[in-house]
Amino acid sequence: MKKGTSASAGIGIGKVVIIEEAELIIPNHTTADVEGELARFRDAVEKSVKDVSALAADMAERIGEKEAEILNGHLMLLQDPMLTDGVENEIKTSGTCSEAAIESVFNMYADMFASMDDELMQQRATDMRDIKTRVQKKLLGIESVNVSALPYGSVILAEDLTPSITAGINPANVTGIVTELGGKTSHTAILARALEIPAVVAVGGIMKEVKNGDDIVLDGESGIVIVNPQKEVLAEYEAKKEKYLKEKKELEKFIGMPTVTKDGVSVELVANIGKPEDVDKVLQYDGEGIGLFRTEFLFMDRTSMPTEEEQFEAYRKVAVAMNGKPVIIRTLDIGGDKEIPYMGLKKDENPFLGYRAIRFCLDRKEDVYKPQLRALLRASAYGNIKIMIPLVTCIEEYREAKALIEELKAELDAQNIAYNKNIPVGIMVETAAASLIADIFAKEVDFFSIGTNDLTQYTMSVDRGNDKISYLYSTLNPAVLRSIQRIISCAREAGIMVGMCGEAASDPLMIPLLLAFGLNEFSMSASALLSSRKLICGYDSKELQSVANKAMSFATEAEVRAFMTEFVACR
Amino acid sequence: MVSRKVVVRNETGLHLRPAGVLCNLAEQFQSSIRFQTGGGASGGNAKSVLSVLGACIRHGDELEFICEGADEAEALKAVVDAVEQGLGEELSH
Repeated sequence: MKKGTSASAGIGIGKVVIIEEAELIIPNHTTADVEGELARFRDAVEKSVKDVSALAADMAERIGEKEAEILNGHLMLLQDPMLTDGVENEIKTSGTCSEAAIESVFNMYADMFASMDDELMQQRATDMRDIKTRVQKKLLGIESVNVSALPYGSVILAEDLTPSITAGINPANVTGIVTELGGKTSHTAILARALEIPAVVAVGGIMKEVKNGDDIVLDGESGIVIVNPQKEVLAEYEAKKEKYLKEKKELEKFIGMPTVTKDGVSVELVANIGKPEDVDKVLQYDGEGIGLFRTEFLFMDRTSMPTEEEQFEAYRKVAVAMNGKPVIIRTLDIGGDKEIPYMGLKKDENPFLGYRAIRFCLDRKEDVYKPQLRALLRASAYGNIKIMIPLVTCIEEYREAKALIEELKAELDAQNIAYNKNIPVGIMVETAAASLIADIFAKEVDFFSIGTNDLTQYTMSVDRGNDKISYLYSTLNPAVLRSIQRIISCAREAGIMVGMCGEAASDPLMIPLLLAFGLNEFSMSASALLSSRKLICGYDSKELQSVANKAMSFATEAEVRAFMTEFVACR
Repeated sequence: MVSRKVVVRNETGLHLRPAGVLCNLAEQFQSSIRFQTGGGASGGNAKSVLSVLGACIRHGDELEFICEGADEAEALKAVVDAVEQGLGEELSH
């Protein structure tokens, strides 16, 4: 069993077909007939252009304009004056044969792209090498690999796939793709998703372990690849595949549907993200917004503070991508559980009760909090951003943060910089203290979002990482449920929005209770969105009141769990 | 010779697609169309997609286009307008 990076969801089962580009032997001789060599080169380019045009047109028709773009890019590169002049100059000045001249000039540009500090640009290096091979093959009279006629049930195995090869893939006979190199955003991954072919990329060492005709199974969600699986494993994957396809079809019906209960109560179904790139998946699963954008990624794995500009770019990117839908961004939630030397953060004896999140930020206004808040305000001009403050325990913390935001707004006004003057500022309700004074908070803040992971931890005084006491870590504890119910009712009374961004928001046992309590917004990982929408659409919130009343009458977690499990199973 | 500056507003800078749009447009003019990025780096040829890509132009970068030739005025207006309008991409504002 091997594990790689999941690139396209689904279960792939089939026979291995290894796709290998024959290694080209590039001649390196000189010629006296410069004119003839130039003509040879121009002819090869012209023929390559013709081939790629045909491929691009076929791709545009079969798959889509967007997928054909990469090939249209190849066309442009193939005809680029810098490239062709470069090769022609080399032929003219030193009489080099076309193949060798192409090798040196194309490689120079491929290396240039590869060394750029930009993922999109780095991918152009692959394109340069791809078109280089194409023209050289034309010159050498070698046919390109053709994958369009593989037998049904083929799983393509390759070190990496070039756009030229992937363009020929036919989803009717290719049931999976596995590559040793590549990443989530590589061309192979993008195309596999567009064609809905399960794919796993970056599977280290896989090429050494397979030969043509081997049986293979892959799980495009978990990234697992198994070569020559045993009968039982094969049967297990066949069942998984069937289940996946059935569920997918079932859930796809819920794309584009509003999230409304049977009795017409609308709720917002939104997603948690950790990086700007995660937005793609949210849109794919029809998320109605972002309920929690964690900003810690900007501060981790580096040696200096991210600049305001860098932060602004990341926030703006998400706001723009969500196109007017709400985007709740949580300000820095970092503390002594991680050592961050450049911030002067040391390991804390008791990190979750220590110097962290808003406590840390208010102590470090000048170098930490102000740049982040300014970046958030500036990004608010580009979409529907809301600011969320984590770990508040008393109203003074909120007031101080809010005053800082007002101060920064005045600063931006003076500098004539655009921002949303009415940007909502809310709090993450995740401490026992915040829950107990939720009525006080509700009068001043613009919204609540219940962070159930921490709320459970703080309410039950249980470290969720400690196996010995993990039985205490459950949102279904009567204490936690009472806390959640109270937070929601305080918000409803004050007329402010109340959401939930912990794992409980997508827990099938919790959803009926949360609907009964009156939660407005459910935020979860993107992959849970559609199944949660399906659940919510199936409930009548009025009928759920009696279920909630009953659940709240039990004295123990076990009783609540048994009751809710039975209720959900009976439906 | 005429020249003018313009700021790139494309979300992910001038990557392959917008760079291609720029080059195809530049190709239509007789004049030479060169561009200069900030920071004293040497300029590039707007008619070459490789040259544009090679400059690694990002969101917010300022470009100065320099056109020289019979149709330099029209060429300059055309490329500057096209960049301002996003080279076929939607701009963030």
